[in-house]
Amino acid sequence: MSLTETLPVPALAAPAATPRLAQALAGLRSRVWRGALALILPLAVLALWHAATLNGWVAQQILPAPALVWTTLLDLWHSGELWTNLAISLTRVAWGFSAALVIGLALGVAMGLSKTAEAYLYPSFKAISEVPVLGWIPLLIMLVGIGEAMKILVIAKAAAVPITINTQQGIRNIPQPYLEVARVYRFNPRQLWLKVIFPSTLPSLFNGFRYGLTNAWLSLVTVELLASSEGIGYQMVWGRQLFQLDVVMACMLVIGLVGLAIDLFLQITETRLLRWRRAAF
Amino acid sequence: MTYPIPETDPVLVRDEVPSDKHVQPPALWRWLSQRDWRGFALPLAVLALWWAVTRFGLANTQVLAPPEAVLVEGLHQIFNGGFVWDLLASVSRDLAGFTLGGLAGFALGTLLGTSRLAELLVAPSFNAVKQIALFAWIPMISVWFGMGEPAKVVFIALAAFYPVAINTFEGIRSVNRDYAEVARVYGFGRLQLWRRVILPAASPQIFTGLHLALIYAWLATIGAEYFLKSGYGVGNSMIDGREHFNMGSVLFGLVVVGSIGALLNQFAVRLEHRALKWRNRAA
Amino acid sequence: MSTLSLNHVGKQYSVKGEQLDVLDDINLHIQPGEFVAIVGSSGCGKSTLLRLVIGLDDDYRGQIRIDGEKISGTSLDRGIVFQEHRLFPWLTVEQNVGLALENSPLSNDEKKRTIAGHLDLVGLKGFETAYPYQLSGGMSQRVAIARGLVNRPGVLLLDEPFGALDALTRANLQAELRRIWEQEGITMILVTHDVEEATFLADRIVVLQPRPGRIKRVVPVPLPHPRNRADPAFVAIKDDVLSEFGHAPRPQLIEPLPRPFGDYVFAW
Ligand SMILES: Nc1ncnc2c1ncn2[C@@H]1O[C@H](COP(=O)(O)OP(=O)(O)O)[C@@H](O)[C@H]1O
Ligand SMILES: [Mg+2]
Repeated sequence: MSLTETLPVPALAAPAATPRLAQALAGLRSRVWRGALALILPLAVLALWHAATLNGWVAQQILPAPALVWTTLLDLWHSGELWTNLAISLTRVAWGFSAALVIGLALGVAMGLSKTAEAYLYPSFKAISEVPVLGWIPLLIMLVGIGEAMKILVIAKAAAVPITINTQQGIRNIPQPYLEVARVYRFNPRQLWLKVIFPSTLPSLFNGFRYGLTNAWLSLVTVELLASSEGIGYQMVWGRQLFQLDVVMACMLVIGLVGLAIDLFLQITETRLLRWRRAAF
Repeated sequence: MTYPIPETDPVLVRDEVPSDKHVQPPALWRWLSQRDWRGFALPLAVLALWWAVTRFGLANTQVLAPPEAVLVEGLHQIFNGGFVWDLLASVSRDLAGFTLGGLAGFALGTLLGTSRLAELLVAPSFNAVKQIALFAWIPMISVWFGMGEPAKVVFIALAAFYPVAINTFEGIRSVNRDYAEVARVYGFGRLQLWRRVILPAASPQIFTGLHLALIYAWLATIGAEYFLKSGYGVGNSMIDGREHFNMGSVLFGLVVVGSIGALLNQFAVRLEHRALKWRNRAA
Repeated sequence: MSTLSLNHVGKQYSVKGEQLDVLDDINLHIQPGEFVAIVGSSGCGKSTLLRLVIGLDDDYRGQIRIDGEKISGTSLDRGIVFQEHRLFPWLTVEQNVGLALENSPLSNDEKKRTIAGHLDLVGLKGFETAYPYQLSGGMSQRVAIARGLVNRPGVLLLDEPFGALDALTRANLQAELRRIWEQEGITMILVTHDVEEATFLADRIVVLQPRPGRIKRVVPVPLPHPRNRADPAFVAIKDDVLSEFGHAPRPQLIEPLPRPFGDYVFAW
């Protein structure tokens, strides 16, 4: 049964030196092995892609050669075009996300702490969040035009929803026993916030932050594809309109890399944060 | 000093049912008085402001249509316009893409979950490709599949594919090996092991994947209709509405998009609840 | 009926590259229809031993034979009740018991009847369609016992099956198990750390010592059934086994009879 199947890693070398050394060696070997296995598929795809374009199996208009995509990427990089567009895009994300942080934290804290605030605000919040960003775009274009404000609003909406929800739930779900401990030791409000409320809502806050940032990036790409005259998404649309598919694919690569960078950033922040949290308790 | 938290205990709030067993007021009255109407204050205020702004000429009614005009347009859309066809077209392509992507995702997730070798070969590439924002595929898809129905369905399928593949994979991989041992003790064959152990054990997470896929597919449906502007669809009607400065049409579309999304979500929640009733949801 | 024999059985686990001896040189010959109890402190390898005998783990030294034939893999003729009940949470009580009959030649009607009979036997009539999350720990364990018995294996291994039960249910089920054993002639190997339970049920008690798990002593229980827990001979055997753990009651306080220590020592 393949469930219990183990990977075909070379078996542990016979009576190796010390167990620890053998273990380290085995770990290294399995990592190299894994890396090699992981590369097989991408290399095969690349080879096939290359062969297909070289032998004219598919037209250049449909699939540009991988080498062309690569040189285009380098060109865009060196000419600075890529950087300008990427900078514009990232600035939009930064503005939108910052706005979302302010709005989301304020709303979340208000609705988390006060039942009254929740009663007044939550239904509207729910209604707004229930309609995806895509649904709001045409309306926002009509109301505020196609400019920067619309893009930042779109990004802010996409990011604010998870931030609000997670903040509210984080505050709601502070374990009662911790609050009782604080009461027993007669913490003042500052201590209460610093030692109890903030640390125990932190994981939830971080979750909101994570989904917020991911959403912000995804909706940036969408809104730039749909209605923009600058930015990485626009560059892609532009490439598509001129049938310069090498530009389109180079942009996809860049978008993927930024996505990866955001992911890594979030992972590193999380481990940092968790360490900090452990220290706080 | 006060502690704001206790008053917000949701359990306490939910249990506050008035015990008026003896004097029963009319059902309608009870329903009305038990509802929390405070949530309507904000929307009503916005509505009033909107109405006032358009009524007293503070805004260009070319840009901001008055609320009553929007209502009329919405009604017109429902009864005379092609709304039904738009909705039908959107929902059917949504379901087509969802089915296609769901099946493909399930197949890949199963492969990665059962074969360690397949996992090592494919999972890293899959995770890398996953980093490309979904909508960034649209330009290439439009080159490869045109601007018509196939391109839209492919895009929707791609949106549904990722969550199903990931969750199926993780669900299968995290099946408790103890259960597989029970199956071995009773001499289960491969197929029995699948049907009786692995699938049911992984089903909660597979359902999570399908649930997410349903939501993403609907998003992708609207997106596909925005970008690949041929044929009918709720998204098409919204884009048309914007181009013709028809706010009623845009707002109506917005409400429809939200409602269908909410409906699909509810459907998934109900289904999940029924199919997974063996899980102790209360605890 | 089958004779089970273990010859020089040993087992190592490799933990972080280091070999850890869990079982060493286990020799045991169990006659058809015999009831053997294995007692030992926690972590001394009792569950490991059962995993080897059931055939879930074939990475061991020595031989395990049934009727002279080396076991390979699991078999429907060897059943087990796991220490953790291992009910499938997605199946109802009767479906869980039915798992054991999945590959049996019985007709569906017969299966239904057997399942109902066994649920009755463990006192779970009326809970047929309950899901595991709705059961208490003791009830789950009883379902697991029903599942272990329902296909009438020639050898049944029980890994601390009554550990999670309250005293009353435990006594009831012990009596039931005894009755089933007498009726069906199943060979039973019961792992327990309740010495009284072992003395009440077993023909022989195998005492394991830890690190590595070895047989320290085998104590026969030559008492007729039904056994009386207050019977001085019963108490004497129980205390004898207990003394292996250093838990024996001090003689001058409780011991009413002179206890000829050597009489029950038949270690081999
Ligand atoms: N899969 C395993 N890998 C490594 N060590 C194990 C494994 N299973 C059990 N052990 C170790 O073997 C010893 C015996 O375990 P077990 O047979 O479960 O004991 P018992 O059932 O007598 O309490 C314990 O020290 C345990 O930590
Ligand atoms: Mg054990």
